[in-house]
Amino acid sequence: MIKRVKGMDPEFQEYAAKVESEINRGLSSVCVLSIINEYGEQGVYGYQISKDLEERTNQMLIIEEGTLYPLLRNLQRDGIIKSYREKGGRRRKYYSLTKYGKKVFNYLAGFYSKLTEAIGSLFDVKVDLQSDRYIFCPMCANKIDLSSGVQKFCDACGHHLEDELKSRGIKNE
Amino acid sequence: MNEQVLDDIVNEYLKKVKKALPDWLKDKKEHKEILADLSEHIWQKAKELSETNQANEMSVQKAISFMGSPQAIAKEYKRRGEPKVFITKEMWPLYTRVLGIVFVVIIALTVFGSVVSYFTEITSLETMIASIVEGIQVGILTAFAIITIIFAALSMEGYFPEDFKSKKEQRMKKELVKKAAAEGLPYSEVEGKPIKPFIKPVGEIIGGCIGLIFGIIFLLQPFDPNILIPDFSILLRFFGAIITIQGSLDISRGIIGNHKPTTHQVIHGFTIAAKLAVIPLLIILMNRPEIFPWFSTPWIQVGIPVEFYEPYRVIMTVIIVIVCLTTIEDIYKIIKIEKYKI
Repeated sequence: MIKRVKGMDPEFQEYAAKVESEINRGLSSVCVLSIINEYGEQGVYGYQISKDLEERTNQMLIIEEGTLYPLLRNLQRDGIIKSYREKGGRRRKYYSLTKYGKKVFNYLAGFYSKLTEAIGSLFDVKVDLQSDRYIFCPMCANKIDLSSGVQKFCDACGHHLEDELKSRGIKNE
Repeated sequence: MNEQVLDDIVNEYLKKVKKALPDWLKDKKEHKEILADLSEHIWQKAKELSETNQANEMSVQKAISFMGSPQAIAKEYKRRGEPKVFITKEMWPLYTRVLGIVFVVIIALTVFGSVVSYFTEITSLETMIASIVEGIQVGILTAFAIITIIFAALSMEGYFPEDFKSKKEQRMKKELVKKAAAEGLPYSEVEGKPIKPFIKPVGEIIGGCIGLIFGIIFLLQPFDPNILIPDFSILLRFFGAIITIQGSLDISRGIIGNHKPTTHQVIHGFTIAAKLAVIPLLIILMNRPEIFPWFSTPWIQVGIPVEFYEPYRVIMTVIIVIVCLTTIEDIYKIIKIEKYKI
């Protein structure tokens, strides 16, 4: 982000860009997974991911577009995402989450949401966790979507979610 | 703008990316897919950046600038593996294995070379030992430096151990993973994959049976009692008892198979004790060449002739060293089996 600004103190800009890049590094994986998750089973191709990332984050999360592909390759190697190549046309490679990847993503999304909420006070900002739509496992912060049905246990750590469901008046049967 | 010129600009960039990519990717021919993805990305971006929805030189150049430098892309591919000192965590087991193998080869060659030169050049025992120690020191230090530099360089390039394996080997490993999962074999915490079976049960049982047969023969000595000098006969019975115990321990490990790692460790502990018990017996035998079986005609044991005392003692020393090395191997196995406890 700061790299785009012209006429800044180069020493400050270099340092700020370095820290920004370090923060973005871990964050970009979660954001890329989030975009892939939104496209479901049909999957999404590299360019679309990069475009969505730019638009959805209001050009705040900038990654060099070429570095998206090594990231996708690593995610695929780790069994988080799978891919297939279009048979005709432009032969684009489409990426979608694996079952295991979905589990990893839910956990990362939960952890990141809770983290941003927790550190919000440090920067005097407030994060809305949309608690009416999601439960965050008190043990591991896994994000559980209530719209996809009530589940008794956290699918990441196995914690019994009885208290959390009760506190929201949801019947756990 | 001529399409050929635009193609040339994109191809020039892709050529630079290809050059910067690590060799392990190129060896697997994966770079073709990577370059195809990048090319597709650049063209689509260039089209969108252009006002006419047709790629032009400026939009292509801009699209390429968004991609990042070839070095930055390559750096991301190289960025795999968790750093552990200068060598990644993923390369560490292979590094230690290579070091171990090379060290053993160096030790074996140095000992073999020194023993051969001892006999051919008729040097003294002290000179031979000094030459073994010096050879091992220099060899190990040199090998350590070279291997460490190579592995640090490979880690920086983002190599993983599987990059050195053929597709067939990788397929076999996958089958091993499936088999291990089906048999409930433990997983390595370091690699996160099933560990190869730590013993070959059939081999252990066969080896143990052979040991047991020899042990019982030495113990019972089912032949003419006058054929051996009584002192040697007593020593042989001790050897027989120890070999019988070792054989039984091997058989029991074979029967247990690749399970109960703690029991394996305990059995290895007993094996170490048995092996150490052999050493004093070998020292006694080394110092009493006159009782060692050496037959004259007719069939009477006369002990080793005096002129062969020196080589006899060297051979016994080598045997003692081998026993010590196998004892160290048992200690290594105890440490190695620790990983199987899950």
